[in-house]
Amino acid sequence: MKNTAISPRELNSAGELNTAKPSTLLHGILRLGSLILCLCMFFPGLNPARISNLINKNISLFTTGFSFSNLTTRFNAMFRQGSVNKSTFVLLSAASVVIIVGAVLCGIGGCMSLGNNRMKSRGIWFPVAGSIVISGGLFCIYRSYLELQASKGAKRAQPVFPSVFYLYAGLAAVLLLVSLIILLTERRLEKEEKMEMPEKYSLFLMLLPIIILAFVFLYLPLYGWRYSFFDYEAGGTLSRENFVGFKWFTILFRNQATVKDIIRVMRNTLVMSGLGILTSWVPMAFAILLNEIKSNRFKRLVQTITTIPNFISWVLVYAIALAIFSTEGFLNSFLEFFNANQNINWLMSAENTWLKMLLWGTWKSLGWSAIVYIAAIAGIDQELYEAAKIDGASRFQRVLHITVPGLMPTYLVLLLLTIAGALSNGLEQYLMFANANNKDVIEVLDLYVYNIGITGGRIPLSTVIGMTKSLISIALLLFANRISKWVRGEGII
Amino acid sequence: MNNSTELRFKTARRSGFRKSPGEVIFDVTNVTMFTIFMLLCIFPFYYLFINTISDNDLVLKGAITYYPIGINFSNYIALKEVNDLGNAFIVTITRTIFGTALMVFASALAGYLVTKKKLWKRSFWYRYLVITMYFNAGLIPWYMNMVMLGMTENYMAYIIPGIVAPFNIILVKTYVESIPGELEESAFMDGASTFTIFRKIIWPLSKPILATIAVFGAVGNWNSFQDSLILMKSSPQLFTLQHRLYFYLVKASDLETVMSGGAGTNVVLENTLNSKVVKYTIAMATIIPILLVYPIMQKHFVKGIMLGAIKG
Repeated sequence: MKNTAISPRELNSAGELNTAKPSTLLHGILRLGSLILCLCMFFPGLNPARISNLINKNISLFTTGFSFSNLTTRFNAMFRQGSVNKSTFVLLSAASVVIIVGAVLCGIGGCMSLGNNRMKSRGIWFPVAGSIVISGGLFCIYRSYLELQASKGAKRAQPVFPSVFYLYAGLAAVLLLVSLIILLTERRLEKEEKMEMPEKYSLFLMLLPIIILAFVFLYLPLYGWRYSFFDYEAGGTLSRENFVGFKWFTILFRNQATVKDIIRVMRNTLVMSGLGILTSWVPMAFAILLNEIKSNRFKRLVQTITTIPNFISWVLVYAIALAIFSTEGFLNSFLEFFNANQNINWLMSAENTWLKMLLWGTWKSLGWSAIVYIAAIAGIDQELYEAAKIDGASRFQRVLHITVPGLMPTYLVLLLLTIAGALSNGLEQYLMFANANNKDVIEVLDLYVYNIGITGGRIPLSTVIGMTKSLISIALLLFANRISKWVRGEGII
Repeated sequence: MNNSTELRFKTARRSGFRKSPGEVIFDVTNVTMFTIFMLLCIFPFYYLFINTISDNDLVLKGAITYYPIGINFSNYIALKEVNDLGNAFIVTITRTIFGTALMVFASALAGYLVTKKKLWKRSFWYRYLVITMYFNAGLIPWYMNMVMLGMTENYMAYIIPGIVAPFNIILVKTYVESIPGELEESAFMDGASTFTIFRKIIWPLSKPILATIAVFGAVGNWNSFQDSLILMKSSPQLFTLQHRLYFYLVKASDLETVMSGGAGTNVVLENTLNSKVVKYTIAMATIIPILLVYPIMQKHFVKGIMLGAIKG
C-alpha cells in the first residue's frame, strides 16, 4: 500500500493510524499463499492424495478429485478381490474435492483482500473457512491412508505417506494463522459503507482466469523440457536416480542410427521448406494476375472457389487424394481415355514425393495466401496508376513498377516469417500421406518427433529434438526480425 | 510543350482503351489459367460426391468419372451402421459449439480488458499473452503437460485448452481500440460497471471481429484432428470426426472393422456396400457442413485476414 497522502479522517485518529491501516505484509502473505495453494492443485508432483505407489505419478490433486477412473486404474483388480475397499478411494477422492473447495475459498479470500477495507474485512472469512475445510480434507486423506495400510491387500497396494501432505498442512496452517490475525486486528476497519475494489484490481481479477489458463496451457508445457534430462519411460517417474544430465543431447550426435535419422529428417525438412520458400512468390503472382482481370464477378468467383480447399483438413484432403489417385481413381480412368492407363497407385509410390507434397500444399493454400496480397493491391494508391497511364506506361510496365513494388513489404514480411518457420512443416499433411514406400523421404522433423515420441514412446529423445527445434525457431524468428528492422525499419513481431 | 502533351494523351488512349494483340492473348491465357485452377479446386469435391451417390458396383470398377450413374443415397443412409460415427459427430458438433463460444467470449473479454489503461500492470499482461504466439514448447512437452493435467481420455481436453487464443485477443484488442472512447466514458458517467460496459457497448460494437474469430474457431474445431489423435488413444468414443475418418482411411482396410456387427450379420449391407464407398461417404458427410456454411463464412474471414494483414 503506497499511501501518498493521509486523509484528514485518518489524521483525526492519529493514534489509531498504525493499527487502522490494513497490514500489507499479512494480506500479501494471504494472497501469495492462496495463489500457491490454487496452483499446487494442478501439479502431479504436489499431490497429497498420492497415498500409494500404484497411483499414477502423473495425476494432480485436481485429477484425483474429478477423475475417479484415472485414480483407480491399477486398483480395479484389488477392488474385485476385496483386498482393498473401494470406499477408501471414494473417501480419498472426496477429500481431494474438499481440499479443492477449500483452496477455491482461500482464492476468493485472496481476491477480496484486494478490495477496500470493508471488502477486506468481509473477505477474511473465506480463508478462515477455506483453511479449516482444507484441514478437514487433509484429515480425510490421512484416514484413507490408514485404511489402506490396514487393508488386507496392504502389501500389494504399497501405501506411502506423501511428503507433500506436510506442504498442504503447512500452507493451511499459515493461511489460518494469518487470516485469524487479520480478523482479530482489523475488525475496526469497517468505516466505508460499500464493498468496493479499486478499478485496477477488479479489471485484473476479470483477466485473471485467462492469465491462469494461459499459464497452465501455454507456459507450463515449457516445464516439460525437464524430461530431456531424465531417463524417462512412459508411465515411469522422474527422480534423482534417472537423472542423466545431457546424455540425450550427446546421443543426438554420437549414436550412429540416430545421427543417420536426424540427417535424413533434416534433409526432408529443409528440402520441403526450401521448396516452400522458393515458391513463396506464387501467391503474389496469383493476386497480381487476378487483379488484371476486368470482370469483378469473375474475380470474386475465383477467390471464392480457390479458398475452399484451405478450409478442408488434411484428413479430408487425403480422402480426396485417395479418390483421385488410387488404382481405380479418377486419374487412371482419365488416362484410360488416352489409352495410357497403367493402373498405377499414384499415392503409394515414393517418386517425386517432395514435389507432390509441395503441390498438395499449394493446392490447399494458394487461394487463401493470395487474399493478403489482394488486400494489399486494393490498398495501393489508384492515382499512381492514373499518372502512369498518362505517362504512357504499358499494362506490364504498370504492374512491374507500381504493383510489384507496392506488394514488396508484404512479401518480405511473409517471406521472413516463412524462413523463421522453416523447421515447422506441420504434422498432419505428412502423417496422412506417409506410407511404407515413401517413409524415408516424407518424414519431416515434426512427423519424426511424433513417430519416436508418441508412437515409439521415446519421450526424452523426442523432447530433446523438439526443444532444440523450438530454440532454433525462436533464434530464426529473432534473426528475421532483426533483418526486417534493418531492411524496412520496423520489426515483424 | 503543347505537342508533347497531346502525344502523351494519344499514347494513354492507345494503351488504356484499345487492347494490343499481345494484351488480348495475355487476357485469354489469364482467364483460362484461372478457370483451370478453379476446376482443380472444385472438381475433386464433385468427383467424390458423384462417387458416393452412384451405383456401388460401378464405383468399385472405377467407372464413375464425370457424372453419376444410378443415383441413390443408400450410402448416406448406411452411415448409421458405421461404428462410432454417431459419437464422432456428437463430439465434433458439441466441441465446435462450446469450444468456439467460450473462445469468443474469452477473447472478447481479454481483448477489451487489455485496452483498459487502468488495468493493473496492463502492458506486462498484454505482453505475457502475446509472447506465447512466438514460442512453442513442442509436441512432446505439450503432450506430457496434458497427461500431467489429466487431460488425456477426457472430453475437456477439447474445450479448455482452446479458450485462450492469443492471436484472437490481439485482433479484438485492435478492433476495440478503434471504437470511440466517448461511448464508454459516457456509460461510465452513468454509473455502468466495467462488465455492463463490456456487455452493452463493447460486445455489440465489436460483433464483426467476433464473427470473424468465431468462424476461424469453428472451422478449427471442426477440422480438429491432432489433439484427438494424440490424447484419446484408448477412448474411441471420444474420437473427433476427422480422427474417425483417419482411422477408417489409414487403419481399417476392410468393411468389417468399419461397420458394426461384423461380416456375418450384415450380409445385405456387405453385398451392396464396399469399404471404399463408405469411406468416401464419411468424407463427404464431413465436408458437406463446411461447404454449406462456407458462403456465410467467406465475407467474415476476408475481413479477418485484412485485419490480420494490417497487424502483420
